[in-house]
Amino acid sequence: MKDEEIDDVLNEMAKAPQLLKTETLQHLADSVKPSLRPVRPLPPTWVLTGSLVLICAAIALAGAARAGFYGIEKMDLLKRALIFPILLVFALTAGSGFVGEMIPGSRRRIPPSALLSLVIALLAGVFALLFRDYRTSDFFSAGIACLLTGLLFALPAALLAWLVLRRGFAVNPPSAGLVAGTLGGLAGLGMLELHCPNFQAAHVLLWHIALIPLSAAVGAFVAWALRLRSGYSDRARPNGN
Amino acid sequence: MPADSNLEILMTQYQQGDFDAATALIEQLSPQLHRFFLAQLASRADADDLLQETWLRIHKVRHTYRAGEPVLPWFYAIARRVRVDHYRKAIRTVARHQEVDDMSRIATPVVAESGQSGGLTALLAPLSEGEREVIEMLKVEGMSLEEVARARSCTVGSVKQKAHRAYKKLRETMSGAAFRKG
Repeated sequence: MKDEEIDDVLNEMAKAPQLLKTETLQHLADSVKPSLRPVRPLPPTWVLTGSLVLICAAIALAGAARAGFYGIEKMDLLKRALIFPILLVFALTAGSGFVGEMIPGSRRRIPPSALLSLVIALLAGVFALLFRDYRTSDFFSAGIACLLTGLLFALPAALLAWLVLRRGFAVNPPSAGLVAGTLGGLAGLGMLELHCPNFQAAHVLLWHIALIPLSAAVGAFVAWALRLRSGYSDRARPNGN
Repeated sequence: MPADSNLEILMTQYQQGDFDAATALIEQLSPQLHRFFLAQLASRADADDLLQETWLRIHKVRHTYRAGEPVLPWFYAIARRVRVDHYRKAIRTVARHQEVDDMSRIATPVVAESGQSGGLTALLAPLSEGEREVIEMLKVEGMSLEEVARARSCTVGSVKQKAHRAYKKLRETMSGAAFRKG
């Protein structure tokens, strides 16, 4: 059987008479009528993305201002010229991805998991090229301190990003949570790069970069748990079935 | 299928609180959304419930549509989410009560109840959920690859891959049926 013949069969079936009654359609229209009033559409994607990136940058700068700009002061020009623009590009990509996740029917250029993998792989590559100090002094204590400090800024950044888009509607909440977490992780990493003067390759490659998947995992888990909770509360309502 | 530009205008008017535009959208899009649910192996009663739930959700998040964007992917993305939520709840309920018979009812096409659309439901039954969705949107509703990708929150490549696999299965199924008839 040829594809054209399958197309013909499907087209015939598409022409089948509809099963919906006029009363059903009228009932649907009546159900929206009482609450029908003008609504303000969401702003354009570039405005929302720009706001998200600004929030992340502000959190990273505020965190570094409080803790000290020791990292950026110690960096040479090449490190500064590579690390921060790359973080900005990733933040723009993750921001635009998050806006897409919160608006139904948006174009998806890159799946959230692929975005996360790409960010981790590229950052690992850049950091491996730039940081050549292979000592591992205070590996765990300094690493865990950096990871926790980064998370302290990543999670509020992700939360604020979610608040900016609270009027949106995530068709896949865990996926949206993953992207929000990635964005927050980038804010936390930005703060660490501004602040942390520990340039040991293993420290930067493991503990700094680990912040991003960790923050993304927290974002996805929280969104998944919230959806599960909303499912249960729907069922608990008298008309929730 | 209604012209997309017409739907865009109606959608914008709906956002401005125009009841006639809301009614026109409901009349134009409900039949295809209903068929979309039926094609996903829903019973007639389930499809009716899902349609109502979809319109309530659409009404609640109508501000998320932005003028100039394609309308159909926006509607179908919301319809998909409603369907997924519905079946998650159903499966959880079934699992909680350990009613195995009910579980099979959820997973089995109710062709007899679906009337004319039963043919489509039966034809698409051998396909996976994702493949059914892609074929329904692409071939029955006449959406473009880009629109289907937007509605399913995936890439165009992924839609093409699913359509290819679905056609392979449909060819095998339909050739088998024709062979048995012959």
